Amino acid sequence: MQGRRLLCFTLFPVLVVLSAAADEPKPTPDNTISIKLDYEIKPQSFARPVKFFVDRVIDRSANPQPMRVLKERGGVFLDKQPTEIVQQAFQGALEKSSLLAADAASADYVLTVYVFHFGLGSGLGAEYYGKVDLNVVVKDVKSGATHEVTALGTSVQGAAVRKKNILKNIEANISEALELALRNFLRGAKLRDVVSPSDDKPSETPQARLDESNIDNFLCEGRPSYA
Amino acid sequence: MRKISWIIATLVFLSATWAIAKDQPKFKSIEVKHFPNAEGVELPPEFSDYLYAELRSTLQKKKLAEQFVGEDEVVDAADASSSVILEGSVLEYKKGSVVKESLIGFGAGARSLKAHVKLTRRSNKEVIVDKEIKVRAMARWDPKTLAKFLANSIAGELKHSD
Repeated sequence: MQGRRLLCFTLFPVLVVLSAAADEPKPTPDNTISIKLDYEIKPQSFARPVKFFVDRVIDRSANPQPMRVLKERGGVFLDKQPTEIVQQAFQGALEKSSLLAADAASADYVLTVYVFHFGLGSGLGAEYYGKVDLNVVVKDVKSGATHEVTALGTSVQGAAVRKKNILKNIEANISEALELALRNFLRGAKLRDVVSPSDDKPSETPQARLDESNIDNFLCEGRPSYA
Repeated sequence: MRKISWIIATLVFLSATWAIAKDQPKFKSIEVKHFPNAEGVELPPEFSDYLYAELRSTLQKKKLAEQFVGEDEVVDAADASSSVILEGSVLEYKKGSVVKESLIGFGAGARSLKAHVKLTRRSNKEVIVDKEIKVRAMARWDPKTLAKFLANSIAGELKHSD
């Protein structure tokens, strides 16, 4: 009798784990989507020719299953890791605009991309919305200085009920969100400030403006032409 | 007979011109910024990003601009005069009460959100729209419904702005 009880106590957690595992959706060709950029992203024009190198893409989303974008309705999965998709998207966009360096040594700026969110944000009911949130660390190879540039892309495609339409909408959502995030980075004012800081910008404080204009020297020494 | 055909032709021409004018975007580009919450406003953390996404999507659907520029993106100097920046903040959020809504009804206990919206021209910082907008939804509904309603209200305001 006791042996049977012991067996029941041992088997119960095993059965619970097995039933939970049976609910977990598995990636199949029918529920897997491929994210690719449909349109070419035109970066901003920089004051001087520059080359970028994408060194690493690091996942910071704290998502234990980064390839699963949706658990409900039999699950929706990505065909590649988000880090791989982001790296390919960055390299592709930079290469098309002739801004990609062959290696880190020949680049002016080395990029380390941190992926904070890649996939779906919590939307409204049957409506899904795509969100790609990146933080790019831009390192100046010559000076070694680093700057952080954030990039965000979102997309709302509308509600879908049929599985086929859900897959189509999610694919469009994430693709568009990635495209917008990339565009946000390449056309961002922050990147412009990092690559070509404006020297002619007036300083913030009055003292700094005085220092810049050399007015102290002028007041002490007088104008040499009148001396 | 000739008079009637002339009138019909004029009407067709006018309606076609009106339809073309109606479909033309109002601005060259719109930059939508995130709406920060005022002090004391407690909304879900993902609300801000959802409102941003919904605003972009709604303005795109209403064809208010040719281009939708991301936050802090550079814009060509030539387009600056017909480009605008949409910014704002969430001033007030009331969760509402399901009990009040069930017992009293007529809008009592509804979930509500008040936002300040400002539309400025990029080139000369001229203020085109400066307004407070309030939206309501049922207390049972998700707070993100308010984001959808707010985005629609803002799009309507922009469409009818000078």
